[in-house]
Amino acid sequence: MRRYDLNWATLSFLVALALFFIAFLFYPLWYAVVKSVMVDNKFTFTFYELMLTSPVYQEAILNSFRLGTITTIATTILSLPIAFFLVRYDFRGKNLLNGLILVPMVLPPFVGAIGMKQMFARFGSINLLLLDIGFIDQPIDWFGGGGFVGVVILEVLHLYPIMYLNVAASLANIDPSLEEAARNMGSSGFKLFRTVTFPLMLPGYFAGAIIVFIWAFTDLGTPLIFNYRQVVSVQIFNSIEDINENPMAYALVVFVLLLTVFFFYLSKTLLGNKRYEMIARGHVSSASRPASTGLTALIYVSMLSLTGIAMLPHLSVFLTSITEQWFMSVLPQELTGKYYGMVFEHPLALSSIKTSLILSVLSTSLDVVLGVAIAYLLTRTRIPYKGVLDATAMLPLALPGLVLAFGYLAGYSGTFLDARNNPMPLLVIAYAVRRLPYMVRAAYAGFQQTSVTLEEAAQNLGASRLRILFQITFPLIIANLVAGGILCFSFAMLEVSDSLILALKDEYYPITKAIYALLGRISDGPYLASAMGVFGMFLLIISLFLAGRFLGRRMGELFRA
Amino acid sequence: MVGVTLENVTKRFDNVVALERINLQINPGEFFFLLGPSGCGKTTLLRILAGFYTPEGGHVHFGDRDITLVPPHKRNTGMVFQNYALWPHMTVWKNVEYGLTMRNINQHEKDQRVKRALEMVQMAGYADRSPNQLSGGQQQRVALARALVIEPGVILMDEPLSNLDARLRLEMREHLQDLHKALGVTIIYVTHDQKEALAMGDRVAVMQMGQVAQIGTPREVYTRPATRFVADFIGEINLIPGDITNVQDTIIHTDIGDIRGATDRTFTKGQRVLCAVRPEALDFLEGEPSKHDNVVSGQVKHVIYLGEVEQYIVELLDGTQIKLVEYDPAEQRAMPGDSVRLKFSSQRVVILPDEEDDRHETV
Repeated sequence: MRRYDLNWATLSFLVALALFFIAFLFYPLWYAVVKSVMVDNKFTFTFYELMLTSPVYQEAILNSFRLGTITTIATTILSLPIAFFLVRYDFRGKNLLNGLILVPMVLPPFVGAIGMKQMFARFGSINLLLLDIGFIDQPIDWFGGGGFVGVVILEVLHLYPIMYLNVAASLANIDPSLEEAARNMGSSGFKLFRTVTFPLMLPGYFAGAIIVFIWAFTDLGTPLIFNYRQVVSVQIFNSIEDINENPMAYALVVFVLLLTVFFFYLSKTLLGNKRYEMIARGHVSSASRPASTGLTALIYVSMLSLTGIAMLPHLSVFLTSITEQWFMSVLPQELTGKYYGMVFEHPLALSSIKTSLILSVLSTSLDVVLGVAIAYLLTRTRIPYKGVLDATAMLPLALPGLVLAFGYLAGYSGTFLDARNNPMPLLVIAYAVRRLPYMVRAAYAGFQQTSVTLEEAAQNLGASRLRILFQITFPLIIANLVAGGILCFSFAMLEVSDSLILALKDEYYPITKAIYALLGRISDGPYLASAMGVFGMFLLIISLFLAGRFLGRRMGELFRA
Repeated sequence: MVGVTLENVTKRFDNVVALERINLQINPGEFFFLLGPSGCGKTTLLRILAGFYTPEGGHVHFGDRDITLVPPHKRNTGMVFQNYALWPHMTVWKNVEYGLTMRNINQHEKDQRVKRALEMVQMAGYADRSPNQLSGGQQQRVALARALVIEPGVILMDEPLSNLDARLRLEMREHLQDLHKALGVTIIYVTHDQKEALAMGDRVAVMQMGQVAQIGTPREVYTRPATRFVADFIGEINLIPGDITNVQDTIIHTDIGDIRGATDRTFTKGQRVLCAVRPEALDFLEGEPSKHDNVVSGQVKHVIYLGEVEQYIVELLDGTQIKLVEYDPAEQRAMPGDSVRLKFSSQRVVILPDEEDDRHETV
């Protein structure tokens, strides 16, 4: 038996794939690293020194750390109890609440920031309301510290669902008999949680915490909208214009990159070897128990108020979008639908929608082709360096979008791909690379759930490999592919950091960058931007719903196969 | 060690009755088995004893203490889980030590007791290992040590050997028996494996659909099954339906002739019953039968050689097939197609009420 399944087609695809990853994943990162330590062909650490000594950069780094840390802690505090109650208790409408938790994810936080400002600005609705009823004399500075609080709130409201998903999954993964064994040994309550439950959850919790931390640390859109500029991400964004004169941004990008690598390394070494193989064999599932009426009420009240608060920015965006003028009043004075019409008339809005559609269709197609091929190679063939391929395809998941986008812009500057001339090719590739992990995962899951014996049966009856792929395998995993594709598409439509950084000319603005640009225009800009934000929300809701439908309906069938 | 008493214990899951008025008396120091097929309620019963389930009705006593509503962590039971449930984030030593820590025992005593417990299960050399580095059999032993070390009043075992391979299972059986003898602790052991129950148990409760079908020593439940279910579930048995024609001499009229049985129960004349005969109680009749023997005739259908035993399937005149097992078969006694006569002593015929027939009458 040969060691590997390698024919010319596989081999050339692998080579092409390697070149693609080298060009669009490793080279941009490498370029930033090199630029950060080389000036006029001389090796130097000047920029790092400057980064760590200059008060401006010190403050930015410190602020980013504070932002990341506070967001991580706050999302932990929010999501731990929610996960605990939703995983451990049964009550009516549990599925509904479970779905409701994810709602805040449907809006890029920077669109939420528009609504947030409307509500909580110095003369926003809340302050005006409080002034009206005479509760306060002076408007309260809700966003404190030059917008820091506002950014934190928005990050927390946007990211707690991600933390929840990780915490809940790790909690649900714990074999109930492990806790039962502890109770049998005389442990209970908080002692039980501290000695058994939490240590077992730790790997899953840590993974979630890292995602949240890195996300908050590198998020560009939200601080930009709040005009909170003393953070690393905005510093990088600001220095794009004069990157050739001031290479500080390279050092900052490498700093973020190293930080990311460090955290993921930490999670791998500290907790990687502790990823407990959970035995799910016991036929007893006592993990969840019915909640009393009082507890159910408590869960509902707290969950609904949390979701309500998390939805405030969305609601506010919606209200803004249907308002003629909303200024110095608690609620909108005059309603109108005209901004929705304008979305399809305004030249910038219209062209941005077209651009985003083209970009998303192209990048999604690329994702589907690459993702399915990679997943197929990983699950169905014996090829050399499988681990490397797997890790590489998953790498963009850990990589902050900011870092990669910056690498593209700088690394391809002056080539035929220069984003300053026409960002479209790089945008397509950036979108595709960033979302490739989702597609690979979706297809991978499909291949794994589909027993190889189904394919072998067809082979046994004389079908060729290609025929089997199209007649047996694809029909069985189509749900996964559709779901993965929908996710890639909708994420691409509302992608933020690549779009903000790479699209530098009006004519190539995707939707998100157009929204950002419109917000800066005094007159009708914010209203139009809000209307576009509402469209974005609907797009995401519908795609998430569809993806869930596709996977949900077919999930059972797939498992039975 | 304590005795365990269950009074009318009833458990429901969403209106499905899992246990129906269970009454049991388990003596201090007894090695007691709950035996039954999956879904019979045996694990539910064990989990009620551990405190993971609260019964909807009835009471559970440990000794004189009513523990029905006592939470699991205050019961002082040592449970061995089917999947061992060793905490993967603690070493073997920490796993065993945990229960002692919860009981606020001082470090010196803890060290001694953990050491002794690990020695007892022959795992002293593995104290610093992580459970993931152990084989199934070794994890099993650690789980046992964890349950033993707290010196529980009752040890509860939930199919502890079901994940081990056959050879290891036999080894652990002996080991468990030795431990029970040495410690004299009350053990309540759930299994669906009748061999485990027969081999180790002081007494066995055979359970069926949430009820106790029979309680007795292994010999009693095997040789004197109380119901058709028990007879069927434990070992193999031939069942021949018939009517009681003579109450005095226990003679049953069947389609294959009269069968004489032995019973300490009282039946009424004309009652529908089953004559239950173990395959090994049957023998080929050569020459004349003695006066205690029942004799039936038939034709050999299949002969199955299994090494230590040989099975003969014989079709009787009315078409029923019965099985005969011969131990240590030196040579084949009959060929398929042979006409044979079979004998079995009336002492080996258990008369059981025909439950299906009972049901028909009550409807």
